[in-house]
Amino acid sequence: MAAQGAVAARSGLRSALPLLAPAYLWLTVAIFLPLSAMVFFSFMTDLPLTGKPWAFTLGNYAAFFSQSLYLTLLLASLRLGLEVTLWCIVIGYPAAYVLAKVLKGRSREAIFLLVILPFWSNGLVRIFSWAMVLREGGILDTALNAVLPFKINIDLMYSYPAVIIGLVHSYVPYMVLTCYLTLQAIDDSLIEAGRSLGASRLQVLKRVIIPLSLPGLVAGAALIFVPVVGSFMEPRILGGRTGTFYGTVIEDQFVAVFNWPLGAALSFILLAVVLVILAVASPVLRRAA
Amino acid sequence: MATTRFLEWLGRIYIGLLLAFLYLPIIIMALMSFNVSPFYQLPFDWTTEWYASLWQNDQLIAATWNSIEIAVITTIISSVLGSAASLALFRYEFRGKKFLQALLFPPIAIPWLITGTAMLIFFFGVGIGRGLFAILLGHVALALPYVIVVVSARLHTFAPELEEAARSLGANQWQVTRRVTLPWIMPGVIAGGLFAFAVSFDQFVVSYFLATPGQTTLPVEIYAAIRKGFTPEINAVSTIIIVVSMALMLLTARFFKFGGEK
Amino acid sequence: MRMPDLTALLTATAVFTSALAFTAQAGEVHVLNWKGYGADEPWAVEAFEKATGNKVVNDFFNSEQEMLTKIRTNPGLYDVVMINAAFNDQAMAEKLIQPIDTSKLANYADISKDKAGSPMLDHDGKVYGVPWVWGLTALAINEKSFDKPPTSIAEMWDPAHKGRVVIRDDAVEAVQFGAIATGQNINDIKDMDAVKTKLTSLMPQIKTFWSSENDWNQMVASNQIDIGTYWSGSADRAKTHFKLPVSLVIPQEGAVAWLDAFSIPVGSKNVAGAEAFINYMIDPKFYVEWVTKVGAPVSANTKAVEALPEDAFNRKVMGDPEVAKRIQFQAPITDAQREAYLALWQQLKVDVK
Repeated sequence: MAAQGAVAARSGLRSALPLLAPAYLWLTVAIFLPLSAMVFFSFMTDLPLTGKPWAFTLGNYAAFFSQSLYLTLLLASLRLGLEVTLWCIVIGYPAAYVLAKVLKGRSREAIFLLVILPFWSNGLVRIFSWAMVLREGGILDTALNAVLPFKINIDLMYSYPAVIIGLVHSYVPYMVLTCYLTLQAIDDSLIEAGRSLGASRLQVLKRVIIPLSLPGLVAGAALIFVPVVGSFMEPRILGGRTGTFYGTVIEDQFVAVFNWPLGAALSFILLAVVLVILAVASPVLRRAA
Repeated sequence: MATTRFLEWLGRIYIGLLLAFLYLPIIIMALMSFNVSPFYQLPFDWTTEWYASLWQNDQLIAATWNSIEIAVITTIISSVLGSAASLALFRYEFRGKKFLQALLFPPIAIPWLITGTAMLIFFFGVGIGRGLFAILLGHVALALPYVIVVVSARLHTFAPELEEAARSLGANQWQVTRRVTLPWIMPGVIAGGLFAFAVSFDQFVVSYFLATPGQTTLPVEIYAAIRKGFTPEINAVSTIIIVVSMALMLLTARFFKFGGEK
Repeated sequence: MRMPDLTALLTATAVFTSALAFTAQAGEVHVLNWKGYGADEPWAVEAFEKATGNKVVNDFFNSEQEMLTKIRTNPGLYDVVMINAAFNDQAMAEKLIQPIDTSKLANYADISKDKAGSPMLDHDGKVYGVPWVWGLTALAINEKSFDKPPTSIAEMWDPAHKGRVVIRDDAVEAVQFGAIATGQNINDIKDMDAVKTKLTSLMPQIKTFWSSENDWNQMVASNQIDIGTYWSGSADRAKTHFKLPVSLVIPQEGAVAWLDAFSIPVGSKNVAGAEAFINYMIDPKFYVEWVTKVGAPVSANTKAVEALPEDAFNRKVMGDPEVAKRIQFQAPITDAQREAYLALWQQLKVDVK
């Protein structure tokens, strides 16, 4: 039985190879090999590039554990990733549902396209525009004070909420689109059948719609959580004093000091943590479904 | 059903709010391209001088064309290669599949800064060097994981029995793929393509390391410009891009249906 | 369609005639510098190309580390590179740059003696960097927030400015600023704990950490800040070029000074072109035009500074002997020091989160 399984697996690989090879070859040349060089660097005391003597060391990885700074920031970044992902689900999933199940006809295609269009503008220009909205005397402040009978001061710029707003804005389309893809695939007759059998809207949502659209939700969450944990540009610009995260200290090692080995080690620790979280989360999510 | 009607309207309003949130910064960006102050200073003072100076800025225009070209080619290559790979991952069982799927996350998880530096060193070492070709090589690689993850999500909703049925009716592998599988995953491919375009078009870090003078992209020009007082020419060019692509998209949506009506 | 055709024709003619006149010297000069920092001004490039027949190709960096990486990974690509004097030592030790034959630079003789003789640029009697411009990292104020400009660095700690103070997101600059605030030598900080305490008490005052000139200018334009560290050339540019209410303050406690110099990378394919370009960059005519049109730091060429109007900021304030006494030039920093500064700076930023 086991031997048979192995044969099937091998033949599966043979059929899969022509479809897989181009993409994975490309990834190998452009990403995996370069990153392997970085893995190599992360075990060095110094870069051979500069002509200085170097040796192998585990010190760069040890640095992570010997200084509380890195763990504090990693936890802060994980929390940031989690919060942004949750907000994206809360905002994006209902929108995807409306898009897939409520809107019909041409307007749906148009809106689907409109959701991603903002991301064809420049990221930095978008952040500057957010600064216009969020700062004291900015658009949000002025607009709210024009409507509200009492005076309030809104200065969200250079704060943690500003980072969250900027990141949610950047990543919510991922959630809308991936959820749309799986929600749209659910046959309407399945929902009607559930309803005609006497299930409430909420029960249909819980028993039919969410489980069937889960792959999209999971894909969206992964595509948001993973890059947000390592993000550095949005926190730096929007976060001000509170904008120091794990991604920004990695950036510092590359840009401010020439310590690529430490910077690389810190990023691979990040990668390992993220992979472990994904590995633990995906079966849990699947079982929950 | 009154409640259904009510919920539908609620849904429409919700989508409207989401679009308002998404387009708020874009509208401000567009407004500021018509404002005199280069520092987004208010009160608003109308001008078209930024568009006029953009017209003279050959470097920025050339970089914009480079960006568009690279993004389009990236979109095509990564959609095709990525969809093929997702199909293989979905259809076949083989040893190491989990590993291959896990391999999609390093390019997303490792900050682009490190990936970019690694590419610079590696491309230099193996003789690929820098320039537009190297940028394209990097962009496709960055976009591929997004395409594969998105298309796979769509494939999860696909019933393999459909392929079986088609096969039992005498269709060969290629016919099955073209007539049954591809139409089903098309919305996923399109969404993946849109992601790929966005990843490439707004990619700064990796392009930055691989660009050479004269062979740069728009984000590289923008990021270099902000060091020394940036100008709303950048807002102007972003506004033009958004308006043109919005027009193209609405036209596409009008004449080309995807996602399948049921 | 007529306009572009005309310009194309003009350019073609210009290239053709200059090629005829200077066939022997014609070539490309690849320059590596900060973006928008003199060497890439279109009028300057054009004037230089017309005068020498060399074509200028500009490339840019965003940090000193990146500049070094670019030279390391592109041997033979660049002919001229702009290096902060504090990094010259490292570039020379890595054999990235070559000695310069100053006899080929007609303007070199006018470089002020203290800059030309700087031990940071000259090694074993050979010149590895030609001093170009210098400037200060001092304080700048939003004129709207002050009746009269402050004189002391202590103003940054004044509770009246709480939440309206900015400082650059740069470990070395921050630590050296702390050294000045605690009355220490920036190149030989004895009491690091004092620096740390001083900076810790500054943190609650801070609005954000700036990183580009544009950040500073935007925040002043929208009246979000009162005071902060800023570069002298940038403050001048913000005031004269962008008409923002910004003025530079050189506090009585002192300020950090830096010196930027041009070097020629090892393997340059057009050393003659590089020499011509460097000579042009330290020419008084270029400098005066740069200051007038754009705003610039102080030239290392004494004749160039003298060519400015008497009341020019770069001549009157920066040339003031009183100021010269207060400022401290940045010396090279070892990698270990740099990493220690970064660790301190990161810790401060985490503690304030």
